[in-house]
Amino acid sequence: MSDDRRKILASAVIVLVIALHAVPLVVSAERGTLWPFMVYAMYKHSRPAGPVEVNQRRILAVTASGARDTVTPDLLGVSITVLDQRYHRPLMTGDTTVIPGIFERLNRGRADPYVELDLVSETYTVTDTGLARRENPVETYRAPEVMH
Amino acid sequence: MGAQLLWFYPNLAEHINFLRKNDEFVDPQLITRVLAAVFSRDAFFNPTTFTILYWATFGFGLLALVGLFTRPSLFLFATGTWIFVAHLFSYGDRHHTEALFAIFLMVLALAPSGERLSADAALRRRRTGVRGAESSDLAIWPLKLVVVLLGLTYFSAGMAKMLHSGLRWMNGYTLQGHTLADGLERGFPFGVWIAQQHTLAIVLSVFTIAFELFFWVVLVVPRRWAPLLLLAALLFQVGLYLTGGYDFFQHMVLLGLLLLFLYPEWWQRRVGAS
Repeated sequence: MSDDRRKILASAVIVLVIALHAVPLVVSAERGTLWPFMVYAMYKHSRPAGPVEVNQRRILAVTASGARDTVTPDLLGVSITVLDQRYHRPLMTGDTTVIPGIFERLNRGRADPYVELDLVSETYTVTDTGLARRENPVETYRAPEVMH
Repeated sequence: MGAQLLWFYPNLAEHINFLRKNDEFVDPQLITRVLAAVFSRDAFFNPTTFTILYWATFGFGLLALVGLFTRPSLFLFATGTWIFVAHLFSYGDRHHTEALFAIFLMVLALAPSGERLSADAALRRRRTGVRGAESSDLAIWPLKLVVVLLGLTYFSAGMAKMLHSGLRWMNGYTLQGHTLADGLERGFPFGVWIAQQHTLAIVLSVFTIAFELFFWVVLVVPRRWAPLLLLAALLFQVGLYLTGGYDFFQHMVLLGLLLLFLYPEWWQRRVGAS
């Protein structure tokens, strides 16, 4: 291939790669599914002036024999985003409809099934004197078959 | 190549865990959907196929690294890498860290890679006695494309913040909130400390927006200024990692490559002077 043709090919690829970055902007339905051509809108949200406060939460799973494990994306077989959006956040708002789904995923193929979930959370607040940590009450949920 | 192969290479156990624990994708990427349509989901997305693909991709990566069948190997290595990342991001999570690096790997296959320093070139010299060209105008275009894409993506990130939040993004509280949440979650004490420094958070917020909105000027400033902007970008990425664990290591590698190979004068001058 001659150098001129190679340059034309390279130019076409450059234009294509740049243009493909516009597709997720234009086609909103496919915004999150066109990797590696993405919208770079991460961390675009702001927070109003006032106390800076964040919640940290985790779910602990307890087996019938008393062993405790933190429910991680790996243990549940989901991504960290799904763990947060489908499980952590609903539980933090008191939505317990997600509980059976968590047990079902956790206990697939387990000889020593999990029978209890503890939602543990702490609230951290930036104050004039440093970082204040407050432990919130632990919410406990029993597996559907051992609830009674 | 080496970075992708030894540092950013997919974690097979993570993929197999997803395959074993999920009967369906959450938000399948286009690449995943195409593969599922061509081969059927069960035929392609299973632990056996992925184990074979993992080692085949690794093999192509080794071939590309030593420069044997360089460009076909590069293409197959990049293709395998794209499939793995697309699969990982089909379960409701996606990150920006891999994207530009993956595009860079793919365009390397289209550039005259391996013409000089490769097993292919050595074999060609031995067979024909012909040395490859000393230089090529076309060899550098993947790196130049990376500069354009970095400018584009940083601008996109800055504009998203401005369009969505406006100047309020720079009120300090926003950055304090982000660094506190991520610093705590990921165990980065420096981020937790910054979250408690309101004035510093305002300064860093203004710098972030200015940097993201105007990094693209690297394309038009005099050549001697470009390394400074790339260095600022590298420090920006390192800073993001230290404050909140935002692990854009691929961007760091790309910026390092640009500093070394696209604008070599700045370090060659210093090496020459010493």
